[in-house]
Amino acid sequence: MLKRRTFLKTTGAAAGAAALGFPAVLRAQPKQIKIGAVHPVTGPLAEIGQACRLGAQMAVDAINAAGGIKSMGGAKLVLLPGDSETKPDVARTVAERLINDGAVMLTGAFHSGHTMAMVPVAQQRRVPFLVDISAADVITANVAKSVKEGQQKVQYVYRIFPTTTTFGRRAIQFMNEIFKATGVSPKRAVLMYTNDAFGKPQHEGFLKAHKEQGAPFEVVEVIPFPEVPTDLSTEVSKAKAAKPDIICPITRPASATLLLRELAKQRVDILGVISPGAPGLYEKGQIDALGKLIEYTMDSVPWINPISPKTRKIAEEYAKRSGGKIFDTNSGYSYEAILVMADVLERAKSTDPDVLVEAIRATSMRDPIMVAAGPIRFNEVGDNASASTAMVQILGQKPLVVHPKESAEAKLVFPAPKFWERG
Amino acid sequence: MNVTLLGQAALNGLLFGGVYSLMAVGLSLIFGVMRVINLAHGDMMVWGSYVAFFLALRLGVDPFVSFLLCAAALFSLGVLVQRGLVNRVLEAPHEMQILLMLGVALVLENLALVIFGPDTRRTESAYGLETVWLGPVFVDVARLMTFVLALAFSLALYLFLFRSDLGRLIRAAADNSYGALVIGADVGRIYTVAFGIGAACVGAAGALMSALVPFSPAAGFAQTVVSFNIVIIGGMGSLLGAFLGGILVAVAESLGAVLLVPSLKELVSFVLLVLILLFRPQGLFGRKTA
Repeated sequence: MLKRRTFLKTTGAAAGAAALGFPAVLRAQPKQIKIGAVHPVTGPLAEIGQACRLGAQMAVDAINAAGGIKSMGGAKLVLLPGDSETKPDVARTVAERLINDGAVMLTGAFHSGHTMAMVPVAQQRRVPFLVDISAADVITANVAKSVKEGQQKVQYVYRIFPTTTTFGRRAIQFMNEIFKATGVSPKRAVLMYTNDAFGKPQHEGFLKAHKEQGAPFEVVEVIPFPEVPTDLSTEVSKAKAAKPDIICPITRPASATLLLRELAKQRVDILGVISPGAPGLYEKGQIDALGKLIEYTMDSVPWINPISPKTRKIAEEYAKRSGGKIFDTNSGYSYEAILVMADVLERAKSTDPDVLVEAIRATSMRDPIMVAAGPIRFNEVGDNASASTAMVQILGQKPLVVHPKESAEAKLVFPAPKFWERG
Repeated sequence: MNVTLLGQAALNGLLFGGVYSLMAVGLSLIFGVMRVINLAHGDMMVWGSYVAFFLALRLGVDPFVSFLLCAAALFSLGVLVQRGLVNRVLEAPHEMQILLMLGVALVLENLALVIFGPDTRRTESAYGLETVWLGPVFVDVARLMTFVLALAFSLALYLFLFRSDLGRLIRAAADNSYGALVIGADVGRIYTVAFGIGAACVGAAGALMSALVPFSPAAGFAQTVVSFNIVIIGGMGSLLGAFLGGILVAVAESLGAVLLVPSLKELVSFVLLVLILLFRPQGLFGRKTA
């Protein structure tokens, strides 16, 4: 965990150095640009929310250290952190508060339900909202539709994260490629999902892609479960009764822990666990808690680009500032959102919302720190057209990219050894 | 319908029911004796879980042993809360008591957040992944241990309440606190002990449960709600009702996950609650009192 004291010390020192080192610049500085970031920093998603907040803060620090927004006289970014407490209504009120505190742009909110609660605020208050993480298609699609139909004048909501449609397509594509490469074809799959604003569309996206693209396996059973679950033993018994070759879980941290333990306890005989994209299956806390049970788990998730030297450098710094945690999907996308905002501000040379929106629409940011299919560009609905995922597998207690080949840093293991044969 | 699956679900529910029972017994005892609704019940449980977690992490004590220490720790916490806070509002209207206990719940949750951080934890046990197979049905050893120990703890409580002098006094104070005063019982002390025991029950339940289910500081409220549900179904103030209610709710949820969609399983226990409130408002084992 990041210790408050060390955090205060380092930021304090940095601020002190800035004040002492550049007094002239300080006087010349026109203003600060405030950015509101809402994440679930407490509550069931706290491990993730804290990762997001630290990612965003590190990006702000990096941009300020490199001279701030140069086209605006070196204006410094200031992160206004907000805590949604893992509750949608709180996400909304916090967003309001951050805007009242002077935020000219918003980012957040990790949970699709929370992000949806913030969308009306962004539209009503005319504050550009660059969603860092949230997959549900409707978040941007609904706003784009109402602009098209003339109910809203301008779209203020954009997203750099892949949509559930992208998730589903990539997952099926990667699975097919992996099955072909390894010569193993599972016939029966059980899809288990957390029944919330993320899990439901995510499972629909997967089923839709399965139907459209085809796969060697049939989805023989679909099992939704409540989040936060207290017990998944019956759900797993149900899955086992369907005799699956692979389990495709859409989890969150608490359910991921319960699920993997139950699969091992009940000796569910499968070729592997392959998630179509879900948190809870790659974070350091989860790996520490689950040990060999999480080994070989595959997850088709948006991921940091392990090949990029820029990303590697950030990952090292992140490990230092987080007390050894992994720079992953969550911290990575929150970091990238701030980079995009800085790029937007640089080109907009203004904090006027409509000028910012123009600049967002014209974005073409090369060299993203995350695995992507090209430079960051926003399509007509406001989604990042290049957003992509990678197949990550836990190998040697580390999440490593194993597919697609051009980003792979390790060789995938499939089929995975049985849970009870892992020593 | 798959019979094995149903049997498995019923067994899982039954074995999980032990901890539900134990936590509900604690709540029911506190309510039965003091008429105070302990809204901090679930948060006390989470503290029990954290004690077990750190005993396992630092000293390698298995939660199936350390639950007694957790019970002792929570007994002390219960005594402190009762002496320092609850005692002052015993005569106050219910809403005052509820606000106070809600405050205690908030303090406990946020203290846990400050001290332990928000990460989800689970207590390691040597039996964590052990299973015994009976043909197609398996018995989760950790669940079985939890069940047996929760049963033993409840039995010990029963013997204490019905066979010891202090236990009899507690029951006397629960039945009629004025009468208990008249016969010279130290009702203040009895209340303190009763609150402590209620907290000890939920502390032990928290320790045992932490080996089965992950927990975090935020997990308390949900457990408070489950405890209430069980106690109302079983009958407010009835210990037997709380015990059987715990098992009933656990089995119902487990079967609900098979018969309905798993994400609707919590519906089953709340439908039970509504039915009880409609047709037997005093609960399954509650006495009809004003």
